[in-house]
Amino acid sequence: MLSRVAESVFWMARYMERTNGLLRVLRTNYVASQDEMKKYNWTTVLETFGCLSDSDIGKIQNDSRLVLKRVMLDKDNESSLINNITRARENAKSIQDNITKEMWHHLNSYYHLIRDPYISEMILNEDPITAMDALIKHSLFLYGTIEITMPRGEANNFLNLGRFLERAIITMEATEIMLKEINYEINLESSIPPLRYLLYSLSGYEAYLRNSKGVAEASSIMNQIIFDENFAHSVMYCITHINRYFRRMKTASTSESFEKVEFNIGKALNNLKYVNIDLSQGSNIHQLLITTRTDFYQIAQSLSTNYFGY
Amino acid sequence: MNLPEILKSYHIQPDLWDELLSNEGVRTGYKNVVETIEKLSFEELSSKDELAKKLFMAQGITFTVYSDNEGVEKIFPFDIIPRIIENAEWQIIESGIRQRLKALNIFLKDVYHQQFIIKDGLVPASLIYSCPLFLREMVNVDVPFDIYSHISGIDLIRDLDGQFFVLEDNLRTPSGVSYMLENRSITTRIFPNLIPQNNVKPVKEYPTLLLKNLLALANKQHSNPTVVLLTPGVYNSAYFEHSTLARLMGIELVEGRDLVVENHHVFMKTTKGLQKVDVIYRRVDDEFIDPLTFRPDSILGVPGLYWAYRKGNVTIVNAMGNGVADDKAVYAYVPEMIRYYLNEEPILKNVPTYDLSVPENRSFVFANMSNMVIKKTNESGGYGMLIGNKATEQEMNEFKTAILEDPRNFIAQPIINLSSSPCYIDGKLQPRRVDLRPFALYGPDGIDIVAGGLTRVALKEGSLVVNSSQGGGSKDTWVLSK
Repeated sequence: MLSRVAESVFWMARYMERTNGLLRVLRTNYVASQDEMKKYNWTTVLETFGCLSDSDIGKIQNDSRLVLKRVMLDKDNESSLINNITRARENAKSIQDNITKEMWHHLNSYYHLIRDPYISEMILNEDPITAMDALIKHSLFLYGTIEITMPRGEANNFLNLGRFLERAIITMEATEIMLKEINYEINLESSIPPLRYLLYSLSGYEAYLRNSKGVAEASSIMNQIIFDENFAHSVMYCITHINRYFRRMKTASTSESFEKVEFNIGKALNNLKYVNIDLSQGSNIHQLLITTRTDFYQIAQSLSTNYFGY
Repeated sequence: MNLPEILKSYHIQPDLWDELLSNEGVRTGYKNVVETIEKLSFEELSSKDELAKKLFMAQGITFTVYSDNEGVEKIFPFDIIPRIIENAEWQIIESGIRQRLKALNIFLKDVYHQQFIIKDGLVPASLIYSCPLFLREMVNVDVPFDIYSHISGIDLIRDLDGQFFVLEDNLRTPSGVSYMLENRSITTRIFPNLIPQNNVKPVKEYPTLLLKNLLALANKQHSNPTVVLLTPGVYNSAYFEHSTLARLMGIELVEGRDLVVENHHVFMKTTKGLQKVDVIYRRVDDEFIDPLTFRPDSILGVPGLYWAYRKGNVTIVNAMGNGVADDKAVYAYVPEMIRYYLNEEPILKNVPTYDLSVPENRSFVFANMSNMVIKKTNESGGYGMLIGNKATEQEMNEFKTAILEDPRNFIAQPIINLSSSPCYIDGKLQPRRVDLRPFALYGPDGIDIVAGGLTRVALKEGSLVVNSSQGGGSKDTWVLSK
């Protein structure tokens, strides 16, 4: 596979996953904002996805619609949803011969959907949940299309590498946002609702209820989000799958490139697997997330140098 | 003449050929189609029109217009009523194009080697050497199987009596074939069963025929040659076509930055290192293809590609330097080329063409400018053109000045009334002017011409300009079986 194509597949998958993750974070935060007695504060979301100065954040942090406009529809915001989808499509457009026609059609219609005046009307003046649900549904259809139509070759491996790498980063970012909002004090009674919202935004609330018999406890929530190998959004699940899909590329790689990336993936996996951490302390989790995120960025860097360098 | 209801408002001009109607009524080939659409209400036709637009948009069959850093997706306008060509007419077109391509290929070999045609005085040397698309770099370069124009698009028009004329030859990187394929696929969606009922010849074998030729052009010592399609990139207006063809042929779509030349061999950069490339179907123009030989500021090409080609280490399709054969001033000599090289009479006629570097021609054209189309010899896409009966006095004077400054750069042709074909516009059938671009594939086993082509249509009432860049659209083109 061409290095340029591999890079485009990888980034297309990252933008798609980022879109899906961002939508879920926004949806959960928006639901939370409607559930609050006081004005909901969007500061951390804006700091992460708004690309705004502190003073500009201050101007809109209590206005849910303005926040959604900025994070979902504003083309001047590098991290906005519309820009993510546009970039996913631009990448897909340049590799149409390496992805299936169905996938291209679906991604193309996703691009047209986010630009549909109906969606912006819902977000700006009507019910934003309707718009977000339509977009999430489209995102899920896209994953289904990939699953059913994409051949299990090199392109699919790069696609999954991008997808799981981004998913882990989003999980860590969403967790970090929540930790910051509760000032890293996860054991307080008041921290339980934000933790519950975090699980919602990672599609993990039902799974948590089943496993914990309804008892909300900060350290077990954190355990699920970081270490649960059966939870599709956990950091551990993602690194395990990165490892799995990367191993499939051995025959399609030069041994030198393979070994270099394999080292970074192994390092990240082991750092997570064998860490000794007390999950009842928010500051410990914060520290672990910083280390793990660095490991993931190094994997991305290594892939870029050894597989996409052209 | 007893016409169906749907054609009551279809008013054709007496001085031109209409594809649908003759003096006797609906032409035979169109009868089934007229019967079908007659049963449809205008609402149903409008909803088919709408469906076609949605399908083009949803399938991403679009080109992007960039303004203010924002890309706007546009579709190439499509008219839902097919253009129909009878089998007997197609036989003439096919044999005419085959004959023409043979002659043009021999001309290209001749002009870049012994130049018999110049020495025998049929084509003036000054005409060839003043052509900016004549590449001195191609002189004495042997190309595989002596084939230069592997993929050609020959633009045809019909005159008042229904006879086909060649308007121009496109021998460099002709585009539009993906629209031929997509238009057919959209027609099957909006008019189910109509194509099998009418015995329409298929067009879908085009990518298979093209790939067969591309593989056959590779060095025979390779059992599994690598063929790639070289595109200028995602911002090119024909990018959709490049990606469609690469996908349909199962070959890599590469950009210049994906290729590298080492030791006069071409490689592509893959995740497993460099992989040798044997055949390049390029959609990048000559001047951009190798910055070391041609334009040094080009980043679309591959440094060193020319020498790899010259040494025979890679095949480039179409060959470089073909522009000299589709130059609009050289076009006038094609009938003579056919007689000279093949000893045959041309099957398809040329539109009479005046070379404006000849003083007598110039005087005649200046005196009759309102009846002439004046074209720049090396422009395409409907640019650099003046249509006499539509031009203002000032525009004519500007062209006269430009012609006097550089007469070699212009030719003139009498205004030909392109034939009209029914289009569904504003809720009714209206005649609009059309041309036809069939696509021919020239490979080691001979010339294949897919039965059909791209019918381009001037959607503006009264307009003769069919180019997409000037508001033109397209139609599905049916060639009927016997």
